[in-house]
Amino acid sequence: MESRIIKPALGVYVALFVLFLYGPFVVLTIISFQQGPDGGPQFPIIEWSTYWYRQIFGLTPPSRIAPLPFGEALIRSLVLALMTMVVSTVLGVMSAQAFRRNFKGSAFVFYLIVLGMMVPGVLTGLGTSLLANNIIGIERHWYTTAFATHVAYTFPFAFLVMLAILNRFDSSVEEAAWSLGVDPWTTFRKVTFPLIFPGVLSAMLFAFTLSLDEFPRTLFASGRDQTLPLAIYGTFSVEIHPNIFAFGVLTTLFSFALLSVYGILMAMSVRRAKKMAMQEDIA
Amino acid sequence: MVDTAVFRLEGVTKRYGDLVALNNATLEVGANEYLSFLGPSGSGKTTLLRVIAGFEAPESGRVHFEGRDITNVPAHERGIGFVFQNFALFPHLTVIQNVGFGLTHGKSGLSAAEVERRAVEMIELVGLSGMEGRGVDQISGGQRQRVALARTLAMKPKLVLLDEPLGALDANLRSRMRNELRAIRERLGVTFLHVTGSETEALAMGDRVVVLDRGTIIQTGTPGEVYDRPASPDVAHFLNRFNLFDGQLAKGSFTGAFGTAPAPRATRADRDVYAVRYDRVKVLPVSAKPEGPALKATFIASEYLGSSIMNFFDAGHGHPIEMEHHLSLGAPDIYEPRQDYLLTWNPEQAIVFGREAV
Repeated sequence: MESRIIKPALGVYVALFVLFLYGPFVVLTIISFQQGPDGGPQFPIIEWSTYWYRQIFGLTPPSRIAPLPFGEALIRSLVLALMTMVVSTVLGVMSAQAFRRNFKGSAFVFYLIVLGMMVPGVLTGLGTSLLANNIIGIERHWYTTAFATHVAYTFPFAFLVMLAILNRFDSSVEEAAWSLGVDPWTTFRKVTFPLIFPGVLSAMLFAFTLSLDEFPRTLFASGRDQTLPLAIYGTFSVEIHPNIFAFGVLTTLFSFALLSVYGILMAMSVRRAKKMAMQEDIA
Repeated sequence: MVDTAVFRLEGVTKRYGDLVALNNATLEVGANEYLSFLGPSGSGKTTLLRVIAGFEAPESGRVHFEGRDITNVPAHERGIGFVFQNFALFPHLTVIQNVGFGLTHGKSGLSAAEVERRAVEMIELVGLSGMEGRGVDQISGGQRQRVALARTLAMKPKLVLLDEPLGALDANLRSRMRNELRAIRERLGVTFLHVTGSETEALAMGDRVVVLDRGTIIQTGTPGEVYDRPASPDVAHFLNRFNLFDGQLAKGSFTGAFGTAPAPRATRADRDVYAVRYDRVKVLPVSAKPEGPALKATFIASEYLGSSIMNFFDAGHGHPIEMEHHLSLGAPDIYEPRQDYLLTWNPEQAIVFGREAV
């Protein structure tokens, strides 16, 4: 009796969930194939075409609609995301490693780190820009002040991921390496790191994607040169054309590609993790 | 012993918060000696090994190894091998990479070819030839144990610490590994410190047995000494070979549930306990009138152990009284369940502890 009500109800719930999750993307995709350059971002589709995709890459004859000014912004965002990914992941691994031992004030430091993802982004961005302008007196750039806010924001995610991974890590393999005369640094490189690599990969993915579409912190902290999310936002204030949607589809595909690479690397290291789990079973 | 001591602990104390894991432990180990550490879980035996290996720093006391004070030397510079209970193999490496790990990444200074030669030699020593290229998830528990051992021995340590290394193996493998450990020790001249929770293993393997309880070393001696003359009721209890009776020692006699028995050579202890080895107990019909101690008890069940039979009797005080019959002494008597019998023994063979003793 119960399942006769609950099961369909849950089915509807999941359907709605999927609709809200992917609905916007579906609409976006459809409109991106609108006819150009006269078609606008509305239904119905006048005529299916790939005009707006070609327009992004400058393959269409000039028209009254300017090409998207994204080239440099995209490169800036990618470089910023890569920088953030590297720094946050390194910091995350190192600080999570430090938390394996109880140290004085560890609880305080923990909340200090996690604060970075709790504080409203606009406040962080505004604060950073005020700090840079009025107190320290340096210029704001995407690769200085904005970079700092991105690290402060993504580092806690990397830290928490690594904390969870290291929490389950059996330190006897490290002790075994030491007892074989291998120094702690080599032990970390040759034993610990390969075993926590799946976690490192997840931390990297978090840091990269969070940085790539970061908006509120970057808005105030990035100075003159805009990152991609800021540049996209800037085009909204003029007039919206389907080229924005075509661009959205392309970036989404890029994200999927990134996820696939992540999935492949993950599958490769899961084999390793399984080995470790089997060894733990014996114990 | 003192002249050839390779290893010495002096008053080592280790605390975890309020818990004293190791209390003023002093110990000397000779070259090529095999020492077993016996004690219940939480007695500090693993802590002792971890302090020796350098994984934990003691609060006080010194650790000496090969004439050097190594108390503050980090683990990777001590040159002391450690075999873990869970083996702690490197799961991302093959058998030969595991065995050669210390030689490759440590300060051995050996060339890759020499490392491989030594690793192959060690793998052969532990009887795993042909498995060099396997992942450690593709071998059995007993084989992993050998890899762990070969990995440690490849470094040619003078001292190897074994932390319940046989605990994870089944009984068959366990006895085979015991033999192999002995053989390896003969061949390589290594000093072994072996922590075990099994009294059989401790007695079988050790040149000397060290008994620990609540962080304190309570007896050190050859297996024979420990077995025949346990230093305290606790030792007798861990050995799992004695029926222990509470009672009272007074004027050279012990009075307990079995009546009063002469106890002329009692050992001083903080409480009065009367210990009778399982294989010293005799079973008589309930109508018998034996001289000396006699305890009326109900037969519960028996267990066949291969070379002997263990009979369990209920004398109405919590844990059963055990009586072991060695089958080499003849066929066992058959006892009726729920029937009463009279248990007796020669009081000369009992071990008595008491506050009164000197």
